[in-house]
Amino acid sequence: MSDFLLTQIINYGAPILGIIVFIGALGAPFPGTLIVIAVGAFAKQGLLPWHTTGLVALACVVLGDNLSYAMGYYAREPVLRRFQNSERWTKAEEAFNRWGGMAVVWTRFLITGIAVPVNLIAGTSNFGIRRFFFYDLLGEAVWIFGYGGLGYLFGAQWEVVSDVLSNISGLSLGLVLLGIGIWLGIRLIKTIGAKKTEGFEA
Amino acid sequence: MSPKTQRALILGLIFAGVLIAGFFGLRAVFALREFRRHAPPPLEVAFTEQIIETDVELIRDWMTIPYIARTYHIHPKILFDALGISPSGNEEKSLLQLNDEFFPDAPEIVIELIKAVIQANQPAPTAVVPDAPAPPATP
Repeated sequence: MSDFLLTQIINYGAPILGIIVFIGALGAPFPGTLIVIAVGAFAKQGLLPWHTTGLVALACVVLGDNLSYAMGYYAREPVLRRFQNSERWTKAEEAFNRWGGMAVVWTRFLITGIAVPVNLIAGTSNFGIRRFFFYDLLGEAVWIFGYGGLGYLFGAQWEVVSDVLSNISGLSLGLVLLGIGIWLGIRLIKTIGAKKTEGFEA
Repeated sequence: MSPKTQRALILGLIFAGVLIAGFFGLRAVFALREFRRHAPPPLEVAFTEQIIETDVELIRDWMTIPYIARTYHIHPKILFDALGISPSGNEEKSLLQLNDEFFPDAPEIVIELIKAVIQANQPAPTAVVPDAPAPPATP
């Protein structure tokens, strides 16, 4: 897949890159990070102008993210019906409104594997569109210009950089899952402990 | 959600987290080792100068002939002629596509030929001329 996409980018340039990152932002399993780093190297070789290519990619990926946010937004009603405005849902919504900005930024360039679910959750949980747009633009700018810049810096050796960053991204996802699991485990133990104490006192 | 389901979910998350972190962590260590061997050029060079690539081992089969020609500063016609293929209609095809289309019985022949032609067309390394000895200081 990545080989085919790279061939298309060297043939057709920024427009095909824009389409790839747009579809990727909607959830297609494209190797986005590898492509962005490769494009940085292509820009170094003078194959693509770095500024217009970067801006086209940024515009397209932000558009794709906002579209997946909109999907979450329009799915809000059925989700609310499902959870019937329960206390647990309200708490989850409050938590996302507090920490959502961080989640949006970090999932744009580091924990990219969960970027689409975060977009959907942001749309569903009433996270403001302006805030989402701001954090999304910030994170995607780091992804496009930061990672692309590394490709530019390393030139023809961009594959080494891509390998490191892709694995660090996977490692981050694993650590986040582990962290959530441990946090939920501690909460469950505390709840069971509190119930036991209540039962003992009664 | 019953406590049993909650426990299963939490254990599943922890297990998946350990598995994913372990797998990618190990790969990241190996990738970082490789990364150390490839130091980037100094910043002032990396962001200002156009570097002419000479290492043919960086050629991949997703690359096209015009792209390789540009990267290694060689005329694309030389590469097409070496393969015995007309440039017309083949400029946007990858080396893999060219191989499958024109040499289906010889896998990787195109990439090997391209590497050989580029190596043969690279300018010979020039000898470094040592600085001339400074003349003795005159009183």
